[in-house]
Amino acid sequence: MFNKVLIANRGEIAVRIERACRELGLQTVAVYSDVDRSAMHVRYADEAYCLGPAPSRDSYLRGDKIIAIAKQCKAGAIHPGYGFLAERADFAQAVLDNGLEFVGPRPSSISAMGDKMKARATVSQAGVPVVPGTEGEGALRDDDLLAIADKIGFPLLIKATAGGGGKGMREVRSLEEMPPLMAAARREAEASFGDGNIYLEKLLEGARHIEFQILADKHGNVIHLGDRECSIQRRHQKILEESPSIFIDKDEEFRQRMGAVAVRAAQAVGYLNAGTIEFLVEKDKNYYFLEMNTRLQVEHPVTEWVTGIDIVKEQIRIARGRQLRFSQEDIHQRGWAIECRICAEDPYNNFLPSTGRITHMLLPTGPGIRVDTGVYVGFEVTPYYDSLISKLVVWGETRGEAILRMRRALEEYKIIGVRTNIPFHQRLMDSHRFMGGQVDTRFVEDRFTLDISEEEQPPHPHVAAVAATLVAHRQTQRAAHVIQRAERDTSNWKWLGRWERLRR
Amino acid sequence: MKYITTVNGREYTIDILDESHLSVDGVVYELDFERVGNQPVYSLVLDGHSFEAHVYTDEEQWQVLLRGDMYRAVVEDERERRLRSQLEGAPAERGVFNLKAPMPGLVIAIPVGEGQPVEKGDVLLILESMKMQNELRSPHAGKISRVRVAPGERVEQKQTLLSVV
Repeated sequence: MFNKVLIANRGEIAVRIERACRELGLQTVAVYSDVDRSAMHVRYADEAYCLGPAPSRDSYLRGDKIIAIAKQCKAGAIHPGYGFLAERADFAQAVLDNGLEFVGPRPSSISAMGDKMKARATVSQAGVPVVPGTEGEGALRDDDLLAIADKIGFPLLIKATAGGGGKGMREVRSLEEMPPLMAAARREAEASFGDGNIYLEKLLEGARHIEFQILADKHGNVIHLGDRECSIQRRHQKILEESPSIFIDKDEEFRQRMGAVAVRAAQAVGYLNAGTIEFLVEKDKNYYFLEMNTRLQVEHPVTEWVTGIDIVKEQIRIARGRQLRFSQEDIHQRGWAIECRICAEDPYNNFLPSTGRITHMLLPTGPGIRVDTGVYVGFEVTPYYDSLISKLVVWGETRGEAILRMRRALEEYKIIGVRTNIPFHQRLMDSHRFMGGQVDTRFVEDRFTLDISEEEQPPHPHVAAVAATLVAHRQTQRAAHVIQRAERDTSNWKWLGRWERLRR
Repeated sequence: MKYITTVNGREYTIDILDESHLSVDGVVYELDFERVGNQPVYSLVLDGHSFEAHVYTDEEQWQVLLRGDMYRAVVEDERERRLRSQLEGAPAERGVFNLKAPMPGLVIAIPVGEGQPVEKGDVLLILESMKMQNELRSPHAGKISRVRVAPGERVEQKQTLLSVV
């Protein structure tokens, strides 16, 4: 059994995993790229080893180096976190081949779920409903896809076979616009996954994204930890998640029915460790399997909070061969948790990523608040990795209390040095539709805007005018002061002497 | 000192009377204004009401982030105002837009060519940064004048990529 864990990741998730190891009394090993030398996950770890230059392919994607480091420092296990190598079956296999434990599923499950077309085929055989789309397996050429597209009907989605995180995904409204979109999707998929294969899926309009957290041990026990609502997305990237889902809410029968299907989907690939089954749910409660994420999710804290289960610690216990300490009947969701992903991007400038040094930061604290972050004052946000800088999670007895608490927390949260999407979340918390839970995966793009309409101007324009004027005034005065000093033809000391003599 | 400040399309005449008083459109307020920790964060107490604002500037305007709302402000003193009103009416120079990289990144594609006419909102360049492909668009109609970079090239923040005239 291992006592030392290497964390093959960076940022907030590496810190999160190190924390779990600490609590379990395990030693931690961090790996880092040149630009991450002073990152939090390096400072927090018991041991740290450099992987190489900043670009991911030269550092966090160097599976060979990571395994060599693990063996050299005698770490018994590797936790991949999310992203990077987390869903690479070949990496998981190499870890096992080197006699190390992989904190995650078996390589066979990763590849079965990683190829999205294969995954659809596998789970539908197990009786799990899937979104209508391209059937079967294998690479399809553009003209094949164009022929199938007409049968599926528009609108539809082009997706990357090796996909995830919205990359290589495009929406198509008509046959005419399809060829350039296929090219763009293939280009992005090739760049992100090294695999340009794509497939088609019907676009379900007005559907919600609801997912179930799965835990499975080595003794054949598989349970779910309830639902998460992840419909608040932008460009297919989740921005805010909740547990439970307002759509399921008190309908326990529906929850358990979906949960049982999720468990069946996981069992279909012999799943082990923590994973997530994603569903699309239509208004009439029809639901379809979307995909399985064979790893720890970014949004795992909301489930942790309502169930009281530390998912990362469970992952490690499972990897150490322990049996799950609870059965399905023991799992209950209590209260309501919401997570906002705080990203270094400018919501007022088309959400373009923002880089720079964090010069000032005030974290929200107080009752019912959790912040998972990997940054600190003085840390440089670089363009090499994703823009997530922290996850702000709150808990409330009810959804209403959680929203009000999130509103307060967002107001307290100050980050200076990079632009963040905090104002976006603040607007979201004020949105009546969001409060009413009337959201679907198109909500942010179709029915939400940061632009202000003529009727509802924000409440303090005169205060903003005063603030801008005073800052401008100070700047002008300072500039004028500098010029005045230069205008004196003599040194300031002489000038001061004369001035003092005059005053006598 | 008197300023004319425009916020979200509305004009305010702001007169700074002394260290602790100013008037907005003739209404006098008592004021305490402090910069917090040498950051672009300002604490403003206006007649006993406390506000905290983040104030940023770009070339033309001020951006004030206040209680989760973004206000865009243009501040002019009386002299600047006079100058501008004289300039208006004179034939306006046609805007040249220099597309600058909003962040460091990798140029993925440039779907436009030199001399090509573009409409407002057309994609000029695709820049990859933080693992996302970002489409940079034209703010107005015009013609592509100079393409200074090529696909596959790494660019620095604020580097000029191409121009629209």
